[in-house]
Amino acid sequence: MEILVFVKPVPEAESRLRPRADGKGLDPEGVKWVLTGYDESAVEQALLMKEALAGSHVRSVSFGPAPRGEEVLRASLALGCDSATWVEQPPGIEPDSTDLVRTLALVSRRYPADLILLGKQAGDHEGGLAASALAAALGRPGFSFVVNLRFEAARQRFTFQRVAEEGVESWEVPGPIVVGLQQAWNDPRTAKLQNILKSRRMPIEKVPASEVVAAVGDHPRSTVEQFLLPPPRTGAKMVEFSTPEEAAQKLVRLLREEAKVFP
Amino acid sequence: MSRAVLVVGEAQGGHLARSSREAVGLARKLSEGGSVTGALLGSELGGAPEEFARSGVDRVLLLPLAGAPPVRAVPSAGPLAELARATDISLILLGGSAFARELTGALAVAWEAPAASGVVDATAAPDHLEVRRPIFGGRASQLLRLPGPRGILLLRPNAFSAPEPTATPAPIETRPVHELPPALLVGERTGVSPVEGGSGPELTSAAIVVSGGRGLKAPENFRLVEELAQSLGAAVGASRAVTDAGWKPNSYQVGQTGKTVSPQLYIAVGISGAIQHLVGMMSARVIVAVNNDPSAPIFRVADYGIAGDLFQILPPLSAEIRRVRGL
Repeated sequence: MEILVFVKPVPEAESRLRPRADGKGLDPEGVKWVLTGYDESAVEQALLMKEALAGSHVRSVSFGPAPRGEEVLRASLALGCDSATWVEQPPGIEPDSTDLVRTLALVSRRYPADLILLGKQAGDHEGGLAASALAAALGRPGFSFVVNLRFEAARQRFTFQRVAEEGVESWEVPGPIVVGLQQAWNDPRTAKLQNILKSRRMPIEKVPASEVVAAVGDHPRSTVEQFLLPPPRTGAKMVEFSTPEEAAQKLVRLLREEAKVFP
Repeated sequence: MSRAVLVVGEAQGGHLARSSREAVGLARKLSEGGSVTGALLGSELGGAPEEFARSGVDRVLLLPLAGAPPVRAVPSAGPLAELARATDISLILLGGSAFARELTGALAVAWEAPAASGVVDATAAPDHLEVRRPIFGGRASQLLRLPGPRGILLLRPNAFSAPEPTATPAPIETRPVHELPPALLVGERTGVSPVEGGSGPELTSAAIVVSGGRGLKAPENFRLVEELAQSLGAAVGASRAVTDAGWKPNSYQVGQTGKTVSPQLYIAVGISGAIQHLVGMMSARVIVAVNNDPSAPIFRVADYGIAGDLFQILPPLSAEIRRVRGL
């Protein structure tokens, strides 16, 4: 099985968030770019599928500026991906959702795959639209909020569950499909030191910015006008009490009269 | 400048989803006197069309789909884009749900329009839209400008208020059945199981969430959290420590690797406040923490805190809430 897994470099969860000088985005100074959250799960899921099905091949792909795009690919290679492609972000363009889906479609057509995996959303901008947009662009079935993804080789079908408002749905769908993953079967593995060293010598293919520019075309872009930090939290108003009953009464009064969150 | 707005509604359990009513509220504002059309996909709609007709829209269009149920998001984008083109719609709004999120991505491609998800505020100018959306798990937000003339906004649950039902219903019209591209319809849904422990509201769209953490010490103590949630009509969540330990299924997990919630009120019980958890709930409007450790990081992000023994605090708290709510 050919598996394509898209990963996005995002700031490490503990990173300090500051607006950059023009106020329109995150200041990248001192930020460590990593593979996190749902993307880690997507890589783990890709590797689990590969291990379950002999002869499978996993390619990880990232889209972003150097060097962060390459760093997350090295991390995915160290975890066990077979090959990696870095899609260079054209300088001077801040890609919007349209650019993103057109770029993902470009790469998906270049490396035909039975399964295209993405995390259900990225840990930074939390858009969560890429999987279904890519499915629509490719004209393939696509599902997000997916857990328990497996492949039944005998029937050539992917089986999975989709976590929705009204319940957990079970699905059986033949490939090729696009999946926005909520969770892998198990916790993402950590890379062994020897594989980290080995990954540094592995080649990374590159899709140059010129090809991306041609694929996304000229279109009106969504632009970030302001990157805003919430006012610093001053810490909780602590409820003073001498008995648990008093604590309960005071808290309920605050929630009703001050915060006005329930009648 | 008035504009024609389409609200893609959703039937959940035979009723119009609350998130759809919230979208109607914003649609009325952004239409600036223009028309607001509600659309419902599929045929298993229960009372949703009638509820939609009284939600504040000018008309409701029903779009039956060939091959449905279940209504699948990606294949539905084509018929909706076609409808939007035929009716000169310039803005499509969707309430926040799993289905709507899938639909939004596919609709952006089918209708060739910019889309924004997780929207908590929106204003319209003649040639563009400006929206605010939380990012980084609520640790920051961005003002995003979508170029005109078209735009698609997926709203964050609980960010907008739903208008009161109207006395006179808007007309309901059923459109012809849409054929869908067979390539998108391969595969089948083989079953649906209700969300485990799902007597309360669904976690990601709930207006109030009560979550329990390691401080509960043992799985059987989780009932204290469930009793508090029941007194509030709230959904129940859990920290990763609880789901990892198997006290609750993974579907309960709030945090970076679980669900992101944005309720009006979030009560964290026995949760220390690791960043992993915080990014899943920081955009709640009001956060309450109950923890016996006064230096727990959760108190730095909470609005109200009780530093005390949750085993002593929770029973009288549930009782007091029941009393004030007349339960």
